[in-house]
Amino acid sequence: MAQLLNSVLGFFVSPKKAIPVDESKLEYLDGKTAQILFAVAEAVLGENFLQKAPQFIETVDNYLAYQRRATQELFTQALLLAEQPAFNLLVGGKLRSFSYMSITERQGILERLRGSDQQLRRNLYAAFVNVSAATYYASPATWGDIQYDGVSVDHPEILNRTPPIPWRPTDPRPVEK
Amino acid sequence: MTSGIVEGRNVSEARTLTPDFCIIGSGAAGGVCALKLAEAGFDVLVLEEGPNIPKEQGHGGSAHVRKMFNEREGDMYRTLYQEGGSRLTKDGGIKVLQGRCLGGGTTVNWAACLPPRIETLEHWQKSYGLPFTRDNLLPYLKEVANYLPIVRNDKFNTSARKFIDGCQKLGIATETLPNNTHDCRECGSCGVGCPYDRKLSGIVRWLPDAISKGATIYTDTRVRKLVASGERVQEVQAVFLDAKTRPTKNTLTVRPRLGVLLAAGAIGTPSVLLRSGITLDRRVGKFTHIHPVTICIGKYKDRTFPAYGVPDNMWSPKFENGPTGYLMETGSYFPVLSASATLEHGAPLHKIVREFYPFGAIMYAHHTTGFDADQPYGTTALDRYGDPELDYKLAPDNLKAMRESLRVMSEIHLEAGAESVYHLRNPPLVVKSKADFAEIDRIRFDESQRASIFTVHVMGGCQMGNDERRSCVNTDFRLRGMQNLWVVDASIFPTGLGANPQVTIYSLALWASRLICEKHGKAFALHHQEGGTWPWLNY
Repeated sequence: MAQLLNSVLGFFVSPKKAIPVDESKLEYLDGKTAQILFAVAEAVLGENFLQKAPQFIETVDNYLAYQRRATQELFTQALLLAEQPAFNLLVGGKLRSFSYMSITERQGILERLRGSDQQLRRNLYAAFVNVSAATYYASPATWGDIQYDGVSVDHPEILNRTPPIPWRPTDPRPVEK
Repeated sequence: MTSGIVEGRNVSEARTLTPDFCIIGSGAAGGVCALKLAEAGFDVLVLEEGPNIPKEQGHGGSAHVRKMFNEREGDMYRTLYQEGGSRLTKDGGIKVLQGRCLGGGTTVNWAACLPPRIETLEHWQKSYGLPFTRDNLLPYLKEVANYLPIVRNDKFNTSARKFIDGCQKLGIATETLPNNTHDCRECGSCGVGCPYDRKLSGIVRWLPDAISKGATIYTDTRVRKLVASGERVQEVQAVFLDAKTRPTKNTLTVRPRLGVLLAAGAIGTPSVLLRSGITLDRRVGKFTHIHPVTICIGKYKDRTFPAYGVPDNMWSPKFENGPTGYLMETGSYFPVLSASATLEHGAPLHKIVREFYPFGAIMYAHHTTGFDADQPYGTTALDRYGDPELDYKLAPDNLKAMRESLRVMSEIHLEAGAESVYHLRNPPLVVKSKADFAEIDRIRFDESQRASIFTVHVMGGCQMGNDERRSCVNTDFRLRGMQNLWVVDASIFPTGLGANPQVTIYSLALWASRLICEKHGKAFALHHQEGGTWPWLNY
């Protein structure tokens, strides 16, 4: 049933081709859903997000492998649903495909989803935001923006500083009372 | 059977094994039972769905002895956690973080070691007829404390320091939270696997010792079902998984001579039974409990380096009303965890992460559940593909306590000098003074995605007890109606525990191992009763 729904939803979408997608590298997404995912992520993360997370699409595809099958299908359905003009008419009053909207318009749709009284729509919002934000900030190229020094196995010097070290700023080895 | 670890992803044919005991799951309970049964002379096979974590030199200096642990969240959540770290309750409202790797939860927890709450044990005894008391559990707790060992690690990270500071100003008692670290390097990465083997988890302690006593472990091996005939399990049917957790064409059939121990955790164990058609009149999977977690992050003037330092060694319990209440703890946090919990998009998303990550300190509270007999709490069922799904409803007393814990933690942050406190509400809520606290009371935790809620403790689903209409497991750990099937993990808890459950699971698994050894005429011994330092000052 879920696969049938995916087929039906997928048949009626033709997302804007905003980025080159090598479908041979994808297992769970296809050309259509990858383009919709890009449009969603651009709305969540802003323009040019691929500069700091160049493997974004491939990473999400890989991440889907570890989900249970029902979740894989739901995520794909969510992308295809978001692209439906009729859905965007209901949610945001615009009879347009998500990927053809401007970033500002797409963010308007996200805003409507997040504040919806319908659980399904809020879950859709959470899924888009969680997946986009998690994948983006997993990329080491973003860590400088948040002043994260990286992991200790890549930078052993982080742990080899002599006390007091930054996360124990005042005393080197306190004794409990 | 040859002892050691077999990686199912590398097995290229169907196999059949005939051990004395087959243990399903290699986490806290599975590790203990594997060691104690192997030590007693039984031929023990452990099946683990997750990957092996071999001991091999990594690139992070000579201390980096688990190469697979690279500390990068994106890689590690995917590899080490159930559903890639994205397991959600059925309505999507609560994120359930559970280990899915060799060592299970012990490999990815924050090393916190607390004994069971005495009030909880008393409730279990009074309401469910369980045999565990403070006194008769002491030898098992002592064994765990001395074997690991459990220590009072008082190297506090910035979040813990802010917590201590704020609590002192408010007159709230704090305590060092004992943990199972040894000469900790303070990388902060307990939650994604210790690269340095300084956390004394199952892969460092119980499982290597079990192997040295002759146990065999198959990783990448998913149990599909048990095949029972009458009151005995005759066969365990499993399939090997590839590196991306997809089933291969190769299967494993286990025909245990003496029995099967279920130790797959409070969602995994009921799901194995349900897939096997063992429902006990639909009691299996019912009364699943979690400790729902509320989180708030204070923003301080100076950088806090929130990823580094010992994550979880400071706490304060708040149990004014008997067994229900909450425990506040501190931790470490990382970019992915921070960003993914932020229900925000566009420029405000980046603004929050960039403002609160470098200057943030984290406090969170685990809330005890399960003590209101009129509430259904959680039910584990199977989805259309036979995978488990937890349907969970927060109870009214929890909703009240969750708002209270956020108010208290916000006050602690502000007293400790935080400029503002950020709450994982949708949309995000930032409070700057007590005048803003009314907003906290309006957070609607009972509706999915009105706020980010987590849990890392799942319990129940196969309740132990003496009530035949409600419980699934007898007080001798055997599943009702079965002669050779034991349930030894947290799924037997009748309620939430009110403490980080690792130590209680270890202790009860020791108890279960003793009963199994005695049933089969084998000696059982606790070897670490003398000496050691009792880690819990008030127990």
